[in-house]
Amino acid sequence: MSRTYDILGKVGDEQAFRQEIREWLAECTPKNWRVKWQGVREEDLKSEIIAWLGERRKVGLGTPHWPKEWGGPGLPFTYQIMVYEELSRADAPELDMFTISLFHTPATLFEHGTQEQKDRYLHGITHGTDIWCQGFSEPGAGSDLASLRTSARREGDHYVLNGQKIWSSGAMNAQYCLLLARTDNSGKRKHDGISYFILDMKTPGVEVRPIRQITGESEFAEIFMDDVKVPVENLIGAEGNGWNIAQSTLSTERGLLIFGSVERLARSFELDGKDARDTWMRDVQFRREYAALYGELQSVRLMIRQLLIELEANPDKASPTLPTFIKLIWGPFLQRYTEFLLRAEGLETQKWQPAIPGTSNSSRLRFNDFLKSYGWTIAGGSNEIMRNIISERILGLPRG
Amino acid sequence: MTDEIGIGELAESFSEFLGTEWPREKAVAYARGSAVYAEDLWSQVAALGWTALTVPEAQAGLGMGLSATAALHDALGAAAAPLPMLGNTLAIALIEAAGTADQKEALLSGLADGSVRASFAHPDATILDADGSVLDGQVADMLDVASATHLFLRGTHAGKSVWIVLPTATSGVSIERTLLADASRTLGTVILSSVAISPEHLMTPEDAAALDDDLLRVAAVSLAADALGGGNATLAATVDYMKGREQFDRVIGSFQALKHRVADHKAALEAARGLVDHAASLDADAPSALLAALTAKQHVTRVVAEIARDCIQLHGGVGFTSEYVPHIYLKRAKLNEALFGTRSVVLDRIADILEAA
Repeated sequence: MSRTYDILGKVGDEQAFRQEIREWLAECTPKNWRVKWQGVREEDLKSEIIAWLGERRKVGLGTPHWPKEWGGPGLPFTYQIMVYEELSRADAPELDMFTISLFHTPATLFEHGTQEQKDRYLHGITHGTDIWCQGFSEPGAGSDLASLRTSARREGDHYVLNGQKIWSSGAMNAQYCLLLARTDNSGKRKHDGISYFILDMKTPGVEVRPIRQITGESEFAEIFMDDVKVPVENLIGAEGNGWNIAQSTLSTERGLLIFGSVERLARSFELDGKDARDTWMRDVQFRREYAALYGELQSVRLMIRQLLIELEANPDKASPTLPTFIKLIWGPFLQRYTEFLLRAEGLETQKWQPAIPGTSNSSRLRFNDFLKSYGWTIAGGSNEIMRNIISERILGLPRG
Repeated sequence: MTDEIGIGELAESFSEFLGTEWPREKAVAYARGSAVYAEDLWSQVAALGWTALTVPEAQAGLGMGLSATAALHDALGAAAAPLPMLGNTLAIALIEAAGTADQKEALLSGLADGSVRASFAHPDATILDADGSVLDGQVADMLDVASATHLFLRGTHAGKSVWIVLPTATSGVSIERTLLADASRTLGTVILSSVAISPEHLMTPEDAAALDDDLLRVAAVSLAADALGGGNATLAATVDYMKGREQFDRVIGSFQALKHRVADHKAALEAARGLVDHAASLDADAPSALLAALTAKQHVTRVVAEIARDCIQLHGGVGFTSEYVPHIYLKRAKLNEALFGTRSVVLDRIADILEAA
């Protein structure tokens, strides 16, 4: 019989807080979840993840990063960091499918939503199992997001949407979508005239087609909209202000998501070296390469820690450039490291295995992790865009 | 003193002074001569207390730690300053750890005011037999030995590892300078023939291996910091150049192929800074102190050497001329990479530490 854990009650005593989480995780992390989750059907995976979310909610850690006003635990930032650190260290599964629901939707609605929108939608996230997705990118608007063309035409008490979205993570399971569409074509800049909507995925005219990825998984989908009626009350913020709201949606995770991924990788990096004690760690070349990659890993971890320290001190004064640098260093490092493991571990890594959801970039299935690393170099503004930002906005070089 | 001055302010004062006293043109001109060090600049920085940073307050020093050392070496690297600072940094650490009261008295105040300039043996330098009353032998590749007043050599005495401290003016000591690609520092061979020694020349550490590790840690952080400063400076010079140089009626800094390269360099330097700051912030007895220092050394010196290499290419033809600054930084970067353990040696040590964890 499981004991009662009072993790939130330990706030004020960092050591006790950490200890309580560790004990809770030791007992309550789903047993053998890596084996169970590997290759399960989408519906079964969903109930596994929901069950784990339920466990987390029991101790108040369903949404550890939420402030009190949102119905979260209101943890000081240091404690939020500890939660993510311990979750990674214990190799607890990630809440795949819920990323948008737990991070982006509340941030958007709390800052820009009406009271009616908050009342209507947040309950399903805090207490229910509503899954949200994001409809930002389009086939013709990837890194150049502002050139999106999905149209929203006002007709009386609703908008009529037409167009296509792509790269929507988890759209197959989603009840709702945070959607950007163009309400006005006459703006001077392409950023003008974009509006931000809540789309009920069950609305007639919405069609979702999963995208099969190079990993064999289908985490993403395309969303097609054909004369989809969205009520006017589903507009978030003012018409035409969608671009600005989208910026705040994207900047709300405060480094915690990437922090979790990197800490998870740090854990598996250590295990990889230990497991190779009698194999490639006895090869002088691979051993040196591993030692060199350790330096890259540490540099990423230190940058993220720096960002978290700055955010904790004052979110408004945190370096606006550090996240860009982190993205440009972390993705390529991850790609190099996962590729290194393919070379070091040889033919064994070539044998295909179904992916393990919930493992972020550290499933330790070598080929899957390698392929998945592109998520960090392409998604969220490709690294080529990051290089433009650094050279133009930070180094002051002229636009080409 | 430590409490009164923040590391950030200290770093700013270092770079402000060197920016004025040792601008790019001076570094370029200096590299064309054959001086062994920038003597006037040395006197100036010594007068400002830079040589006294880590000397204990009891010996008229400022009693600061490795973060201050890192800030200083960062600034020296940024200016490619021809100052024999690393030997002094290490000598101070050695004397504090293993010097007798008399040796501290005799050497620390001179190191603090810059009148003592130390040349410090590499971790794999020749080990001299110091059992007799005279010393014979050769020690190659002593850093900054041509400008040194004192030699810090490795030896054995009565079956123990010792450090031998000799003034360069001692009878029987001769020094042959080796010319280097990097003109901002020197190496040289020390030749000892029947040099009379006595116990006051010897320092016997309690735990020689632990002290070696600690000296290696200080050297590694200092070199990583020097590299970081140089990397930032050569990238800044290159970006400046790219903003002014026009081809095809456009400044070359508008070409995306070039912009992306400097963007990568900038990001790499930001990442490198974290490694240096972290390694410098750890106490000597922190469990990961040596690992962090060696990691900073191997990663930062490598990354910067590559950036410095590309900065010549980004300058095009003028990058190949001695009038422009990038070659100064490339040469210094390559020396930083090789000093106190080549990358393979350092990586092997890191792997050892990781495996033992």
